[in-house]
Amino acid sequence: MKKNLSKVLALVLALVLVLAAFTGCKKDGKNDPGKTPTGTRENKIIYGSTTEVSGDLGNAWWSNNATDKLIRDLIDDYSVIVFDQGGQMVVNTTVAEEVSDVVMNDDGTATYTVKIKEGLKFNNGTPITAADFVAYSLVAYSPATLEAGATMYADTVVGAQDYQDGTTKVLSGVRLLDEYTYSISITPDYAQYYFGLSYASLSPIYLPLYSSAALTVKDDGEGVYLDGGELNADEINASRYVYADRVSAGPYTLKSLDVGTLVTTLEINPNYAGNFEGQKPSIKTIVLVKAEDETMMDAFKTGEINFLSQVSEGEQINAALDMVEDGGFDYCHYTRNGYGKIQFQCDFGPTQFTAVRQAVAYLLDRNEFATTFCGGYGSVVHAAYSTAQWMYQDSEELFNEKLNTYAYDPAKAIEVLEADGWVLDAEGNDYVSGVRYKEVSPEEAGDYALNVTLDDGRILMPLHIMWASSEGNSVSDLLVTMLANGQQTADAGMVIEQNVMTFTELLNWMYRDTSVGEQYGVPTYGMYNLATGFAEVYDYSFNFASDPESPYVEMGYNTNYIFDKELDDLSMDMVYDAAPGDDAAYLDYYQKFIIRFNELLPDLALYCNDYHTFFPSWLKGYEESSLWDFQKAIIYASIEGAK
Amino acid sequence: MGKYVVKRLLYMVLVFLIVSLLMYAIYNLIPTDPARAQLEPLKRSLRPAEYEKRYEQLRHQMGLDAPLVVRYARWMGFVPDVNGKFDGLLEGNLGYSQLYKTDVAEVIPIRMKNTIFINIFSTIIALAITIPLGIYCAVHKRGKFDSSVQVLTIIGYSIPIYIIGLIFIWFFAVTMGWLPVSGIETPGNHFTGFRAFLDKTYYLILPVLVMTVGSLGGMTRYVRAAMIDSLSMDYIRTARAKGLREKVVIYSHAWRNALLPVITVIIGWFISIFSGSLIIENMFGLNGMGQLYYQGLMNNDYELALAIQMFYIIISLVGQLITDLSYGLVDPRVRVDK
Repeated sequence: MKKNLSKVLALVLALVLVLAAFTGCKKDGKNDPGKTPTGTRENKIIYGSTTEVSGDLGNAWWSNNATDKLIRDLIDDYSVIVFDQGGQMVVNTTVAEEVSDVVMNDDGTATYTVKIKEGLKFNNGTPITAADFVAYSLVAYSPATLEAGATMYADTVVGAQDYQDGTTKVLSGVRLLDEYTYSISITPDYAQYYFGLSYASLSPIYLPLYSSAALTVKDDGEGVYLDGGELNADEINASRYVYADRVSAGPYTLKSLDVGTLVTTLEINPNYAGNFEGQKPSIKTIVLVKAEDETMMDAFKTGEINFLSQVSEGEQINAALDMVEDGGFDYCHYTRNGYGKIQFQCDFGPTQFTAVRQAVAYLLDRNEFATTFCGGYGSVVHAAYSTAQWMYQDSEELFNEKLNTYAYDPAKAIEVLEADGWVLDAEGNDYVSGVRYKEVSPEEAGDYALNVTLDDGRILMPLHIMWASSEGNSVSDLLVTMLANGQQTADAGMVIEQNVMTFTELLNWMYRDTSVGEQYGVPTYGMYNLATGFAEVYDYSFNFASDPESPYVEMGYNTNYIFDKELDDLSMDMVYDAAPGDDAAYLDYYQKFIIRFNELLPDLALYCNDYHTFFPSWLKGYEESSLWDFQKAIIYASIEGAK
Repeated sequence: MGKYVVKRLLYMVLVFLIVSLLMYAIYNLIPTDPARAQLEPLKRSLRPAEYEKRYEQLRHQMGLDAPLVVRYARWMGFVPDVNGKFDGLLEGNLGYSQLYKTDVAEVIPIRMKNTIFINIFSTIIALAITIPLGIYCAVHKRGKFDSSVQVLTIIGYSIPIYIIGLIFIWFFAVTMGWLPVSGIETPGNHFTGFRAFLDKTYYLILPVLVMTVGSLGGMTRYVRAAMIDSLSMDYIRTARAKGLREKVVIYSHAWRNALLPVITVIIGWFISIFSGSLIIENMFGLNGMGQLYYQGLMNNDYELALAIQMFYIIISLVGQLITDLSYGLVDPRVRVDK
């Protein structure tokens, strides 16, 4: 009996496997993505993301997971203010009939009035009115949302702080003026903000998703409030994970999201009125799957995923370009909106001196570095900008003329060091060889552990830079070869001492975070290597606060610890002196800021990757860029010969 | 027997408490500030006063201001948390995942299901192959077949599973196109019932194959060695001298005695059904426990990592108990009631 049972079980198992293999093998054309006959292709694309979807669709108030964001961007749209292909803020004319000019009030606040277009609908056909836009503020700033663990800051909108604290149920800064008009008042601190228009931007939300009570938005003349019940944290949290029949207002509708299989399916929203240019998607289905770095290329080759996104490694790019050459695939490429860098801390040790930071720049052949690291697909920038930014494009000529490119020049490094006083040896005699020293004042000397005090009381600082580098980092490896261990560095009398640590540890030192250990409060490392990316809003305000006692410095806003009044003022004026919409003033400050940045070098940019995105050649009209990601570009794309 | 089990259970509780304290302390030695990590993405948009307020709120919410022992006691549920409620591990609260922004208890089940689904197939298939193969090789020791298997198992045992995976993907998925490279199901499918089961099985053939092949070498050699030992015993000679059929000698006499050392490994395999394979899950995009644990560690989501670790500790303690009890069942000479 037992024997028979085992045999039956074994047979069933074998049959299931064979049957499954047989069924699977019948998938038509799947393994030959480029050669599927035209006219038989499904109107569907599969996008592989290396970030695992967490399934949190609760706006950006909780999760900053890239795949969650991608889904949210595809299912939620209709923001009044959006960023265009060049990264410039524009009014979404598909949504807004009119956005008034800002009205500056006597109390220093600023008010924007927005008239919404009639005829907009949620994906379930429910008409969208101004109340749905205003509901966004009422949910976002509600105490229940805060209790649900959201990180929503309420200091930009008048009355939002009191509303969030629960002292009032009325949000006084937002008004529902009529069925299609709302106004929003910005607090004095943000009223003059260059990107202030973005605060006038709300997007519609479907209230029943956030509460089981029959809530309605009311305004009795004092501001908006929710009538018919109250929001509560449990329901707010639950709204983040509603997948079935989720009501939204974007180009796509969520069909399914499975956090078990990590597969998300989106289908065209027939009620979508278009993006800010009126563009509607034509690809019927988008499937998002989890892709693994190790097998991504194979999955792309076999058609299991249709995109190899933002490939930056030379070897992978070459392999994919070979596939393009063989036919069946296409690609686009663009410069990354960010860069890899050496970040200096400029308030202690040798790196407090601009000349030392400049000398490091002259000692490193950054063109060679970028070429080697990026496998031939990268470039070099010379300050905190990206070549994709509209501001850069408007300033290219000026920057070519004004920016120091710090071309590889060891002799120049020695020249700037000598001019800055690095002309002594450890005994205080004239420098001949070995490590350079500089006589420094007690203030400059600080507590730098490597300083030498001579018998005559003079304090000498060695040209010895402590470098914090994260483990398993190929940039660090290349920096060791090309800079720290380079003969030119030794010849210049400079020592760069690498200290390998985890990235978390590196951040603790960079932020001088004493909450996790007293030791981190002691400035130790003058040089770090990491990468940075630019947000849609280019805003460096408070990041170069020049008062060392400023709370911005204490809280780690100015991780360069550079206290330069001019740089601070320029970064602030760029967004707080240029009035909202005054692009010329903003550009002027931006140019001055970049030039000053280039001179002071709080960061030394190392490389700027050239990203390549590959896709099948049957996908037409797909144009991705560093400011125009998949979720925006796919709206314009179509599938050739789709069913 | 009952007394022995109760004694072992009490011992398990003690071990669990000691290990949990040690693990909690080790994780807390890692110099990182979860409150800061959570607020970091918002830093550029928050003014210092707001940042400070949020930071302090978060530290309080997370109970980071309390000493380590208090935090441990709260985490275990021995003392009330910051809200005055007993809400720790003992009350079923596995913690809050900073990465997934939800309770750990919400994150684990679905991954566990995937891991069990994958492992159960590979374990059964591997045992179904290795046990008969090991026995056959032991019985036909030093024959051509045995020598070939020895060479192959040594090779299989020596090649890292990562390499086996890459080779299999290249051959079965890329070159032959028979199987998918990765994933758990056909993206965007709307299959239900048996069709959905078949689809999932189809996607899991390759990872199961890789896992099975990766584990064949060790187990085959283990069974073979145990059987060779058993076949050289006097009672086998006696059984043969009695004129018993060779099948009876091998399966009733030799195999039952060889089972004792093998059973530890077999039970270990079944226990490992609950733990995911980091490499396989990462390589094939399978959303299982191994990948979850890896994500937890890489993203400093220590409550998640700790919860998984605690689960594994319980599993291994229970596994040890089952192994010990099973000795008594397999071998009448072993008594576990003392």
